[in-house]
Amino acid sequence: MQVGLKIWRFNSRTGERELQEYEIAAPEEATLLDCLDIVKDQHDGTLAYRKSCRMMICGSCGMRMDGAAVLACKMRMYDIAQSGHVPVISAMGNLPIVKDLVVDMDPFWQKFNSVNPYLQPGYEEPPDGKEHVISQQRMNVVHKEALCINCGCCVSECNAMEADPMFTGPQALAKAMRFVGDPRDGQKLARLEKLNGEHGIWECTRCYFCNERCPKGVDPRDAIAKLGAESMKEGIDRDMGAKHAKWFVTSARTTGWLRETELVPKTQGIVSAIKQTRFALDLARKGKVPPPFPPHVAKDVREARRLHDLVRDQGRNGFAGIVQGEHALARLAHGHSGTETLEEIYDRPGAYHRPFIADEEADV
Amino acid sequence: MRKVAYYKGCLASLSAKELDSATQALAPKVGLELIELESVTCCGAGDIHEAEPDYYLHLNARILSYAAAEGVDTLLTVCNVCTLNLRQANFMLLGDTELRARVNENLVAVGVPAYEQDVDVRHLLWEIAEGEGYELLKGAAHKGLKGLKIAPFYGCQILRPSKIQGFEDPDRPWSLERIIQACGGEPVDYPAKIKCCGFPIIQAREETALSELIQPIEQAYEAGADAIVTPCPLCHLSLDAWQSKLKKSTGRDFNMPILHLSQLVGVAAGLTESELKFKRHVVSVKPVLEKLEA
Ligand code: SF4
Ligand code: SF4
Ligand code: SF4
Ligand code: SF4
Ligand code: FES
Repeated sequence: MQVGLKIWRFNSRTGERELQEYEIAAPEEATLLDCLDIVKDQHDGTLAYRKSCRMMICGSCGMRMDGAAVLACKMRMYDIAQSGHVPVISAMGNLPIVKDLVVDMDPFWQKFNSVNPYLQPGYEEPPDGKEHVISQQRMNVVHKEALCINCGCCVSECNAMEADPMFTGPQALAKAMRFVGDPRDGQKLARLEKLNGEHGIWECTRCYFCNERCPKGVDPRDAIAKLGAESMKEGIDRDMGAKHAKWFVTSARTTGWLRETELVPKTQGIVSAIKQTRFALDLARKGKVPPPFPPHVAKDVREARRLHDLVRDQGRNGFAGIVQGEHALARLAHGHSGTETLEEIYDRPGAYHRPFIADEEADV
Repeated sequence: MRKVAYYKGCLASLSAKELDSATQALAPKVGLELIELESVTCCGAGDIHEAEPDYYLHLNARILSYAAAEGVDTLLTVCNVCTLNLRQANFMLLGDTELRARVNENLVAVGVPAYEQDVDVRHLLWEIAEGEGYELLKGAAHKGLKGLKIAPFYGCQILRPSKIQGFEDPDRPWSLERIIQACGGEPVDYPAKIKCCGFPIIQAREETALSELIQPIEQAYEAGADAIVTPCPLCHLSLDAWQSKLKKSTGRDFNMPILHLSQLVGVAAGLTESELKFKRHVVSVKPVLEKLEA
């Protein structure tokens, strides 16, 4: 097949930038990485990009295609080439470019290291020198986080990091959850304390780009929510972000609806809330913040309150509360219902339960 | 008329009442009969999901259950964040019979009906961007937008994560543009239309949030937009109400009017100020309305 590519070339020494177009012949099963190899081998040896495994394992080949971070070795080009579209290939975002498609991963590794990404053993030794057995169920807690290959695709489009480059970011925070959730780690509380710092979990703006981009299904945003939930379960809630989140719980169980008027003082504390007063008055004039009295109370809110007290005692808050939904959401990602029998699966339209033989096509 | 359960969420019940009133007035024109849910609470806006995730699941299951109790198959939302919260909880329950049984047991214990009949959670945007809703919209928008330049702002959570939302390509969405065109407006394109407005951290990390907020407003302004339209009242709140803070920190005054989706279609369909309540906006919508009258 013929594949067209527009590649942003960049030379960090001269600062020159140029969009170069290439037209190549590639086999139908070619990935974006295969196409770049063809460009480099047959058309233009000066093109720079990273690769190693070619099979979505090493995490070297993160780059942008039409503005969205992808693993080049995961991206099949057939449909795109067929449609006649010529995609624009560029380096990942939120990291300095070294040359062409190669970014400097140093900030990435510094943030990665900042979460102390090693197990800090701290569990009690089992009696009689026996093996320390950990259930599968308990390890499922960090299953997704452990899939990370450090490719940086999530970081590339992180909106909070764009706004504040010091933000720890999705990859490092997902990695942090991989240890916070590990039953063998002995530093959970110290880790959570640190993650509640200025550039930690509460700076995430919930844009969900990380979940969208991750080629491995790590869902870093969900990992960050797990860290938040676990922090609050452990009583680490001094950050304004935590106070903000807590106020929603209080609102839901008292009036059912968000008590917006009190949200600012409850989040920021009374002193900075007073500094906000002029701003608040401007909003109040437009009815943007409803008057506190009479409070707007949802019908049957008693049910919501009783529900709160009931589930509080069932031990599913903290990261457990988010992990419990992952099973079902994974089915969503992989397109199977989990409730079908084998017969039903094979009876789906278009599902062949035997090898496909072209001659028999008419009978199927 | 198709009957759907209608979940307003906090914002449209409180500080964005104009969204509720515009939606109620618009619904019959696009073939929807809204059954307003009364016994429901806040969905938790991602905050309860983070603070007490099990409570989040139960609160949302309760909302789904009251929607199902109305005998309808669709729960209509008018907010990105409500849509994600409810759809996420719904998929957790539909895809895990054990979890659903446990949640139902808890619901029943506090006097809420069990969530038995499945409902689908859908944003108003999706109902009017295709199918019958779209056909009716084209007819209803008779007054038109007279070629006004409108910048669509999707925000985050109506697009991502697409495995839960999944209505359109999260990187190349088309629904708002299609609606703007059907209403006789001209959609303006700009890169930040799918990015975050900063709302979730606007209180806890104001500076970071404002650096996000400025992007769509500045880009829409530079592309010559007369107004921005958004399907999310939280996006609306930050774009509209926090715009004055941008002036303070950057010295630039954009004066960019921000419209709720229901208001934009409502104007094109000839709804009145008493229904659209533009007076409740912080940034004046007057320049837009004047252009339409001219
Ligand atoms: S230790 Fe883990 S990462 Fe290393 S080879 Fe074994 S499975 Fe792979
Ligand atoms: S959800 Fe949070 S961590 Fe993920 S990309 Fe957005 S801001 Fe970054
Ligand atoms: S979380 Fe996903 S996108 Fe981010 S570095 Fe790990 S594998 Fe890559
Ligand atoms: S754009 Fe802002 S308000 Fe809208 S969904 Fe994203 S963060 Fe929330
Ligand atoms: S080359 Fe290793 S992940 Fe693509």
